[in-house]
Amino acid sequence: MPTRSVTPSEVDLFMFSASAWLLHRIHYDRPFTVDHDGHPELLIHGPLQGVYLVQTAEAWLGDDATLEAISYRHLSPAYLGDTLECGGRVVTVDDDGVDLELSATKRDGTVTTTGRARMTWRN
Amino acid sequence: MGVLTSEARAWAETEFPPYEFVVGRTDIARFARATGETDPIHFDPEAARAAGHTDVVAPTMFPYVIRMHASSLEGEITEDGSPGGDVPPLPTTRAMAGETEISFGPPIVAGDTITVTKRVADLYEKEGRSGALVFVEMEFTFTNQRDEMVAREVFTRIYR
Repeated sequence: MPTRSVTPSEVDLFMFSASAWLLHRIHYDRPFTVDHDGHPELLIHGPLQGVYLVQTAEAWLGDDATLEAISYRHLSPAYLGDTLECGGRVVTVDDDGVDLELSATKRDGTVTTTGRARMTWRN
Repeated sequence: MGVLTSEARAWAETEFPPYEFVVGRTDIARFARATGETDPIHFDPEAARAAGHTDVVAPTMFPYVIRMHASSLEGEITEDGSPGGDVPPLPTTRAMAGETEISFGPPIVAGDTITVTKRVADLYEKEGRSGALVFVEMEFTFTNQRDEMVAREVFTRIYR
């Protein structure tokens, strides 16, 4: 399936926090993130990466199928400045829909988020 | 082992009150904009109606917005910005997002009233490489004004 490359900016991180009323400081307060939590940079939200996986699946199959379920987990942090390649592959296809395996991967090959999605064909 | 005190186990029995989120067009547009959506069905009621919806349609992951408001609009906010009510009484408050599982029902559109209910589905600890890890599984159910379940999420947060 087609991959999608995203490099969220500081403004993108802020918009996501603001729109969800997500107050966690590691997404906008760099001194806190570096000095208190020991990260090198602001973190790209796990749920935002979840959104990227959903969008990758929907961009490919959304005209023909709807997302019934998705599960994902975070294996490694993604930081402001990282480019995430979001893509996946088909695991199985049946009469009702398709099972996909999805991932977000940094340029250095580190997988930050991995997931599975089930899409069902539209009638 | 033994990070999970009786106090923490008692917290897991907390009954969280249901929270009602009245979905506005602006709520949908903000989240759509924040996540780079460009389809006019998220922004323009006419485009949404032309596509067969009653009003602008929320992006698939919008239930996340609803549950974050439910957790953070009221109550204590901890030093790191987390909603205090969601934080178990543990010696550490350093949290990481773990696994998320979401299933979806009918779409959410502007004008819907979504009720989210929340409970601690599981609380357990494991020994990690750098000490105890505590796993908190929260279950959220999202129901619209017609009693249709629009989403169900199980979200695991890991404390270390």
